[in-house]
Amino acid sequence: MSDAQQGQGPLTGLRILELSDEKGQFCGKLFGDLGADVIKIEPPDGERNRHVGPFLDDIPHPERSLSFWYYNTSKRGITLNLETSDGRALFRRLAATADVILETFRPGYLASLRLDFDSLRADNPGLILCSLTPFGQTGPWRDYLSSDLLHMAAGGEMASCGYDEADVPNAPPIAPGGGNAWHMGCHYAYMAIMAALVFRTVSGQGQYIDVSIHEACALTTESAIANYVYRGEVLRRQTGRHHAPGPTPRTQFRAKDGTYVTALISGGLNPRNVKNLADLMDVYGMAGDLKDPKYQDPAVIAAHTSHIIDGLLASFIASVPAEEVYHAAQARGFTWGAVRAPEALLDDAHLQDRNFWKTVEHPELGRSFVYPGEAAIYNGSPWGISRRAPLIGEHNTEIFCGELGLSRGELSVLTETRVI
Amino acid sequence: MSQPRALENIRVVDFSWVRAGPWATRWLGALGAEIIKIEWPETERGRLPSSTTPQGLDVNLNTSGNFSDTNVNKKSLSLNVRSAKGLEIVKRLIAISDIVIENFSSRVLQNWGLGYEEMCKIKPDIVYVSMSGYGHTGRNHAYTTFGPVAQAVAGLTHLSGLPEQPPAGWGWSYMDDTGGMYGAMCALTGLYHRNMTGRGQHIDQAQMVSSVPLNGPALLDFTVNGRGSKRPGFPPGNRAHWPGTPLVNNYRGPTVAPHNAYRTHPGGYNDWCVIVCHADEEWNQLVRVMGSPSWAASDKFATVAGRLQHQEELDAHIEAWSLTLGKYALTELCQAAGVRALPVQSAEDRVEHDPQLRHRDMYLPMPHSALGVHKVQNAPFKLSETPAVNSRPSPLIGEHTREIVEGLLGYGHDDLRAGFDDGTFWPTKRARFPYQEDMLL
Repeated sequence: MSDAQQGQGPLTGLRILELSDEKGQFCGKLFGDLGADVIKIEPPDGERNRHVGPFLDDIPHPERSLSFWYYNTSKRGITLNLETSDGRALFRRLAATADVILETFRPGYLASLRLDFDSLRADNPGLILCSLTPFGQTGPWRDYLSSDLLHMAAGGEMASCGYDEADVPNAPPIAPGGGNAWHMGCHYAYMAIMAALVFRTVSGQGQYIDVSIHEACALTTESAIANYVYRGEVLRRQTGRHHAPGPTPRTQFRAKDGTYVTALISGGLNPRNVKNLADLMDVYGMAGDLKDPKYQDPAVIAAHTSHIIDGLLASFIASVPAEEVYHAAQARGFTWGAVRAPEALLDDAHLQDRNFWKTVEHPELGRSFVYPGEAAIYNGSPWGISRRAPLIGEHNTEIFCGELGLSRGELSVLTETRVI
Repeated sequence: MSQPRALENIRVVDFSWVRAGPWATRWLGALGAEIIKIEWPETERGRLPSSTTPQGLDVNLNTSGNFSDTNVNKKSLSLNVRSAKGLEIVKRLIAISDIVIENFSSRVLQNWGLGYEEMCKIKPDIVYVSMSGYGHTGRNHAYTTFGPVAQAVAGLTHLSGLPEQPPAGWGWSYMDDTGGMYGAMCALTGLYHRNMTGRGQHIDQAQMVSSVPLNGPALLDFTVNGRGSKRPGFPPGNRAHWPGTPLVNNYRGPTVAPHNAYRTHPGGYNDWCVIVCHADEEWNQLVRVMGSPSWAASDKFATVAGRLQHQEELDAHIEAWSLTLGKYALTELCQAAGVRALPVQSAEDRVEHDPQLRHRDMYLPMPHSALGVHKVQNAPFKLSETPAVNSRPSPLIGEHTREIVEGLLGYGHDDLRAGFDDGTFWPTKRARFPYQEDMLL
């Protein structure tokens, strides 16, 4: 393994084989953008996520899926049919060169191909194989089918998200969008693989990792489990704010431009916060009677909570655009934010200061596009998108011929026989 | 312990508080690192205020249930880092540690005299992970966040809700959980890089910034196609598409119907299940599971385009059926036939009724000296050679002060007593817990 140099990602020199669909592609991206050599192994027709929209210019095509583009940056791509013996033989040769294999097949599938961990590590004792599956490799649900929505239901996310009855009567529990069940699974899978890699730097030993997306989701509802375990409470859903055992004051208000603002009062409505709030609103002539000295008495504040929150605060926010409320409030120490649509982030000056947005070349189109950047700045070993998502089989020649030593003729034969 | 731990011999100086930082170090601890949590009762946030203290127990620094679950696998050193003596002790600790983690606002550690440069003088290859709201650079670095604010500003809140309604958002600090994950991921990545190269670094993780890459496809739809997500029918609730609005992918997966939450028997607050059919075969199976009702034979439901177009009617029919079954019975019937269905589960459901989580030992009881025996959440991954285990309950505040100061750092017992007398290890005017008195004997 080569020494990582300054100017390269922290995982430079690592090789990951990714055999994954929607469940694990984000995990592969996390590794690739941090410098690992991620080789995505797709079926000969390409991974099914290539058929998930939206598509470039709304023209459906396996090379135009923006979802596939996003989740597969910094990877090389090859095709391989594991259901053929030639395909399996080539996979074994690749597996012998890998540090990590990430797979999301149904439990037992790799074993049915005799490509399970025990057989692969015979040629590669340091190998780490991570199976990232909906429910893990064992248990009564291990063969159940899933989807992002299903995980958000069973994981507990939906039981915590929704509306106050007064806002939307009879509303269902709501599953937040964006494919976050897969993100949750991928974050934990990344963590488990990195822990195994750290252990390997010390011991030289590889291992097998069984990650359950259901468990990852079940771990991602903050205090909900503690509320039940320690107090027996089942929490209620509330509009745009925390679940709670009983009703809490609202924190989401519509601003003048129709965008909402999340305005929590950290520490609650104490005299100091009420004074700061009055000062903030007074700048806009919207303090109402809040500057009255009587509001320095906690008992008076408590008796007028609804007047302050639902009356004065709501009216103030309704009179000012959301971005202006956000920045004016933060400047005065209030932990508030505008509820932005994702596209508004492109105008965020703070992200621009951090060089967050990256331009990614798509040479086959002769175009380049702006992509979101890094979750964290690694000051000693920078994150970066090394290439756009691979085209189907784009690196077949480079890897099968260049690295495994196949001749062009052999590659042709394997392509004609649908092995590659 | 018979099996080795992945992070054997790794020591973490943990200044983190509230939720995101402690959630990060919880996992490093489960993986075998020694986590030394540095706390000060006067400025503590995370133990108090507590809304998760069991009924019948006093609310104090040692009785928060949520703190307890979030802080298993750690030791606690009570120390006034803002005093010269406290700072000196912290520096001696950093000198023999591998990782420093904190989730303060962006300039706090620097103002204490513990910026990255200073840490490097003490421990040149230290891996320093700062977990602030907005990061250590950029014009808004001093802004503060909670999970809900990071989620709002970064676009995550907007993805959740029904069309033409206010955002439903996330009913908890998703970005405290996920920010914590990123903190742990950064620490492990930095540690791996250090082991491979001998070099440490400062990793600047930021809760608001870490939220943005979770919106990838929505962002590309804008940067590539120019389509924003403030549009009719978005967000589409639990559906893949909201009927009567332009047919556009909504960033959750394939655009199909049925794809929704349905009420189940007996119609209580969390009696819901979700059903999704990704393909015609799955729909045909669902029809059979429902008993092949005549309405389902209609041509308008025969194709995915038809089911999307007639979704209101489709969902009403499905719900009339789902209301006849309990959510677990419905799940078993559907899954046995190859239909995607799962129950909406509350925390109680997950802990008490979920057969999969029970089988996988997700919640195992652990005793705690102030709280008694309660179930603690386990890791969602099983490592064959180095299992993640919850090896110790959350610490009482300052529980390990003597062990760390005398045992690890080599100070004498008189130094410990002097430090309690002069306010280094505990505020002089604050009552001590009995275990602290015992420490001083």
